[in-house]
Amino acid sequence: MPLIKNAAFTENQFVHVADGEALPQGNVIVSLKRWQAERAGLVTRNAPLGVRLNSDQSAEALAGDVHHFAVIEIDFPKFRDGRGFSSARVLRQRLAYTGEIRAVGDVLRDQWLFMKRCGVDVFEVRPGTRLEDFRSALAEQTVFYQRSSDLHRSIFEHRHAATPPY
Amino acid sequence: MYRYDEFDQKAVDERVVQFSGQVARRLSGELTEDEFKPLRLMNGLYLQLHAYMLRVAIPYGTLSSKQLRMLAHIARKYDKDYAHFTTRQNLQYNWPKLADVPAILADLATVEMHAIQTSGNCIRNVTSDHFAGASADEVDDPRIWSEIIRQWSTFHPEFSYLPRKFKIAVTAAPRDRAAIKVHDIGIIIRRDAAEVLAFDVYVGGGQGRTPLIGHMIGEAVPAEDLLAYLEATMRVYNQYGRRDNIYKARIKILVHQIGADEMRRQVAVEFAEVKAQGALALPQVEIDRIAAYFASPAFETLKDKSPTTANHAFGVWLENNVAKHKVPGYAIVTVSLKPIGGIPGDASAAQMDMVASLAETYSFDEVRVSHEQNLVLAHVRQRDLLSVWQQLDAAGLATANYGLITDIIACPGLDYCDLANARSINIAQAISTRFANQDRQREIGELKLKISGCINACGHHHVGHIGILGVDKKGVEFYQITLGGSGDENASVGEILGPAFGEADVPDAIETLIGVYFAQRSPGERFLDTYRRVGIQPFREKLYATH
Amino acid sequence: MPQVLTANRLSDGEVVYLATDGAWVERIAAAQVFTSPAEGESSLDIGAAAERELKIVHAYLFDITPAGKPVKMREIIRAAGPTVRRDLGKQAAL
Repeated sequence: MPLIKNAAFTENQFVHVADGEALPQGNVIVSLKRWQAERAGLVTRNAPLGVRLNSDQSAEALAGDVHHFAVIEIDFPKFRDGRGFSSARVLRQRLAYTGEIRAVGDVLRDQWLFMKRCGVDVFEVRPGTRLEDFRSALAEQTVFYQRSSDLHRSIFEHRHAATPPY
Repeated sequence: MYRYDEFDQKAVDERVVQFSGQVARRLSGELTEDEFKPLRLMNGLYLQLHAYMLRVAIPYGTLSSKQLRMLAHIARKYDKDYAHFTTRQNLQYNWPKLADVPAILADLATVEMHAIQTSGNCIRNVTSDHFAGASADEVDDPRIWSEIIRQWSTFHPEFSYLPRKFKIAVTAAPRDRAAIKVHDIGIIIRRDAAEVLAFDVYVGGGQGRTPLIGHMIGEAVPAEDLLAYLEATMRVYNQYGRRDNIYKARIKILVHQIGADEMRRQVAVEFAEVKAQGALALPQVEIDRIAAYFASPAFETLKDKSPTTANHAFGVWLENNVAKHKVPGYAIVTVSLKPIGGIPGDASAAQMDMVASLAETYSFDEVRVSHEQNLVLAHVRQRDLLSVWQQLDAAGLATANYGLITDIIACPGLDYCDLANARSINIAQAISTRFANQDRQREIGELKLKISGCINACGHHHVGHIGILGVDKKGVEFYQITLGGSGDENASVGEILGPAFGEADVPDAIETLIGVYFAQRSPGERFLDTYRRVGIQPFREKLYATH
Repeated sequence: MPQVLTANRLSDGEVVYLATDGAWVERIAAAQVFTSPAEGESSLDIGAAAERELKIVHAYLFDITPAGKPVKMREIIRAAGPTVRRDLGKQAAL
């Protein structure tokens, strides 16, 4: 599936490895379960590591460990399942994660902007998605009530030129 | 009332453009119905029995005359000349065309209105006290805080795909006119010992399939922490509310399952984290900015003098539909949308225009919508009451039944709604007609009768003193009656009396119940009080012995 | 039981019924009646295709009596209009 990062297509430099499959050399993404079971071995690898969070898995499970991951993947099994939005926010704000957060799974164009605002920076998109649609989707709203994990100033900041309440 | 600044306006204007794009993508086939549905729901657009239905947001039930006139205009231009005021202080149009909805939203945006988040699994309209700013018993105008919550919850990037819908209500008076205890989050604003505002946050109330009263989860939350506390509560819900079963997905189920103490603990942990980030501290400068919009209008200095009259009809209306105002010389008028035998909560475009004019002339340009489906003119001078009544009466809006048995709350039911199992409006009409006699209604006194056409309880039947739930029994409409529900500060869920009644038998059944009340009541007792004192047995026995 | 296929028109939400010529009509009297379950089943494919063609949404079958009246109250109301506003909906034109 194509990946979009910084409004451009980007190559996926990571390989997903299923639980139980042998780990190849190079960049891999493993499940949270595997990370928890094989942590000691995984941290010694000398290639960038990624972990995948399912929608019923809490980002808190990565507390204290986020610096080990170049990529954290958040799965949206069904677009209506909005738990991943909280996962992204917790990763950015509470766990101070500065690496790449990828949204994968059943993600609608109309959710990209909110995901970005929650701290997602890479999007798995449907084949045939056009960059211009991506850019215009992200430009559909330019004023925001809430300060969030993206760089937009909130309406409150515009009003008072000060730290926003939300 | 609140006025948009350039940022509020831009937010709404951008949404109109965004939704117009989504409609175009739907009509071109780029979006399937399954993909379009959550998007149209987030803009208040349903597909109902006969047509689409558009639910317009009326934040905390407050409208200017200009806005009400626009609602009338839209009814004339795009719909069938009428609209319906709902139990969440919103307005519904029953016949818009999909292709017209972008234009309707654009028209609404010109008067600072929208249909944002009036449906879908997101935070819905924040509702409040329809007597706000006028009643002597409030400690602050709850609409200030409703507006702050509205802004924080609008287009919230984290909480737009919740397990289920989320409803917040706010009251600031010891008498709860906003039914906060049967909301997902209900807030009571009071003053602590030092006279500082304190926010008690109740979580997990709700009606529907599993009616539950909310539990106090946050006690005396200070104003500057209110949004952080709400954010924490929402995050716990978003993460742990059930996603596998839509009938068990509300926050009330989560609270019921883990218990109030555990909920309190989890929210407290999250709240501490949110506070540590500092981002949600609500500064006084923003509170003051919004509070300024809800400052009292320029009341004149008048003496308290209720009109005396020889006009019997005016006298009855005065006694019943006019409530005491905190300022001498003023009064709070309830405009009844419950004409005898009529459709509860419906208003014609002409009636909306009439009320808008009255608001402009007599009530500082402001109208309220109550969750009991009436309108309110909150600041009418006592000496204008006769004039107001005459004009309301001419427009069919002066039925003197506020809070009485014919002031019925009813959902649209099977006549309109895709979810319904039975009709509700016809039952309301039959009961209203049966009890039309004014003297009899006053003899019965306060009686909140609420009717829902299905278990989703949009008619709020669970908190009716008498509640009626329409059910489908082998293809025939039947009506289950409950007693003793209440949405006020002593909230309670109604108790089922027994087997359901056929449509034709409902008015007689209500008569029987009233008969028991008359037989049992002590002086000064309302129906609800008598029920609470004697219990359900006398009512049940007589009802099923007779029918 | 005989059956009819119904849906809402995408553009304006109007209740429509599948007619014998494949058109979607507003009056139930002109609807095609399926007398066998197999016929009813295959009409669902027509409904799905019409949804893909952006004509209608949510096609489904419902039962009618041999005399042509819907069995369920919901469909009686959909075919006519709100019972409490006889001046609105399909019934107004009749």
